[in-house]
Amino acid sequence: MVKFLKILPIAIKTGTVTIKYPYQEPLITESFRGAIEIDPNKCVGCGACTRICPPKALTMTIESNTIILKYFVGRCIFCGMCADTCPEKAISITKEFELATGNIFDLYADVEHEVKTCPICGKTFITRKLSDKIISKVPDIPLETMDLCPDCRRKETLKKFIGVPE
Amino acid sequence: MSSAIANSIQLLMEVSSIISKVIEFNEKVFGIEQRNGIVRIKIHRDVLPYVAQKLATTKGIYMRTMMASDERDLEGVYRLYYLFGIDREHINIVLEVAVPQEDPKVPTIVDIIKAADWYELEAHDMLGIEFIDRRLYRLVLPEDWPEKVYPLRKEYSVQDLMKLYRPKAVEYAKEIGAENIVVIPIGPYHPALHEPEFFEVYVSGERVIDAKYVGFMVHRGIEKLGENMKYDQVPFLAERICGICGFVHSTSYCQAVESALNTDVPERAQFIRSIILEIERIHSHLLWFGVALHLLGYDTGFMHSWRIREQVMVLAELLTGSRKTYGINVVGGVRRDIDNDKIRKAIEVLKNVEDEFKKLVEISINIPQVIARLKGTGVLPLGEAIALSLVGPTARGSGLDRDVRRDYPYAAYRYISFRVPTYSEGDNLARTLVRVDEVFESINMLYQLLDKVPSGEIRVESWTVEPYRLGVGSVEAPRGEVIHVLLTGRYSPYRWRVRAPTYQNLPAVSIMLKGVDLADVPLTIASIDPCFSCTDRAIVIDIGRSVIKTIPIEFLSLKGSKAIR
Repeated sequence: MVKFLKILPIAIKTGTVTIKYPYQEPLITESFRGAIEIDPNKCVGCGACTRICPPKALTMTIESNTIILKYFVGRCIFCGMCADTCPEKAISITKEFELATGNIFDLYADVEHEVKTCPICGKTFITRKLSDKIISKVPDIPLETMDLCPDCRRKETLKKFIGVPE
Repeated sequence: MSSAIANSIQLLMEVSSIISKVIEFNEKVFGIEQRNGIVRIKIHRDVLPYVAQKLATTKGIYMRTMMASDERDLEGVYRLYYLFGIDREHINIVLEVAVPQEDPKVPTIVDIIKAADWYELEAHDMLGIEFIDRRLYRLVLPEDWPEKVYPLRKEYSVQDLMKLYRPKAVEYAKEIGAENIVVIPIGPYHPALHEPEFFEVYVSGERVIDAKYVGFMVHRGIEKLGENMKYDQVPFLAERICGICGFVHSTSYCQAVESALNTDVPERAQFIRSIILEIERIHSHLLWFGVALHLLGYDTGFMHSWRIREQVMVLAELLTGSRKTYGINVVGGVRRDIDNDKIRKAIEVLKNVEDEFKKLVEISINIPQVIARLKGTGVLPLGEAIALSLVGPTARGSGLDRDVRRDYPYAAYRYISFRVPTYSEGDNLARTLVRVDEVFESINMLYQLLDKVPSGEIRVESWTVEPYRLGVGSVEAPRGEVIHVLLTGRYSPYRWRVRAPTYQNLPAVSIMLKGVDLADVPLTIASIDPCFSCTDRAIVIDIGRSVIKTIPIEFLSLKGSKAIR
């Protein structure tokens, strides 16, 4: 009737397995994915990460003359799809997981970008950095229409080729 | 090579015999086509019961799932896809029934195929399809859901539905003037579990006479959400269907898309998927084994089972980057590669787990109290298992030899040899032994997989979507067969149907419970591995003395162990 006691030698041999975290190093491996970090210098504000993010932890909002890339770690599932997608390699995956806080604003990280405003219609449409990036990457891009929003650019280009409409 | 040809000939014979059975309804059969192991048979709704009868009487055929889909903007109809499998034939038979939108009625098949019960009720709830000659009641939607609002119809967006349905608790909170209210439902309908359940057990003395199940307390509308997400975002949502075996869902979803679009997944990715799936099975079975011992009052065994499991969790993190919800599946492959160093470490961990678990099983399974509680309790006869189209260890514990890894080979399972443990007793001990054997079998499979991982790419570079293609993906989860059926859309799935194994297995619990002692109820319910929570409470009502008290559910079970001591 004491067969269950046979576990005792194993228990004695194993000893205590619970570590003294947080006084000891946490048990995370080299592959662990934690919160992400966005390098504001590398980020051009293209928004690719916001389109792939499955839980919508990354969002883009336009506020007057800035575009804000907002990272809310409260929604983050630590999948790292943003880092895989980012064309500028501006997003890195850290091993940070001790994210609990009493202040909800600690869970937000913002990257602000200066936004371009269309001189014709006054619409805001793209970050200056992304526009500069395009100019540097695409050879022979018509610079005179680069400041215009896509709609006005189309109209201006048409005007150039077929004259003034209406 | 010759065996492959022999296989395909046999496969064709099986299909042709079914087609010959169906074809006699000539003008009511609109078309039969075969592609990628899926035979699609389009039939008129009037002949559905007769065709279902023909299939149900063919040996080895079982109902895998049913998908109801709103295709009014395509062809002006709702469409039902009844999916049947044939044991060991690697083939899916899909009966497609168009239901006109002006008269959405279709004959029931529940009297022919018991397993169709919930599928029909769910299609009624979600799409408003009327099944004639059966009792229809709400299964999935809550009681206070507005009448005539069918959430899976395309005219409702997720935002519309959120506006249409407000749980009454919110109104009450506003009434009492509390701002920023968080509603915490507490009770037998436990909100934290992915499969909360409520059993009403009718007892005479200590013996269970009957049991009634009430479920679907936390329907999350995941299928609808998936219709608004991009193809590569859905795997992360799918993975969250289950907190224990999420990887089976993301794999199943990816396979469904890949099968619909004929995408060839690189072999290395197939191996990585299989490796992670087997690691997931080991941790899930170790978890279950621990919980079972806990329910029997042997908490030391529970602690040791989970201690052994912890190494597997850390290993999963090493290979994928996360302990759970690994997040490495995408359509066309996987996102994280493994290297020789990781393979070496994995083998080291597995050797240790094998050795430690063997010792634990030897000790715990031989304890007289444990055997006495497991043996002969919660018996599920083979006939019932077949009739209910059961899957996984629940089916295999009743001698029904059914395993997707062998019957519908996917990922890298065709490249390795393995055994499917089956026991014929059908009791709680049989289901326990199936899982114990499977842990060792999985370790053995992992040794082979880790040894054979081929070199090459881990995902396809790109793939293109063709809308309105049907795809099926199934995976043997720790709890049984998971099956995803998918109709592709242009940017997102047009319709995505998920069927988890517990959906198929839960109706069997009522049968297992009949005639058992009250003390064996918790273990019997847990024996299908529905992720049961230790926080569920049983309410004891003593009508004679008008006393009501609440006790932790495991106390019920412990009473049984004390009686043996």
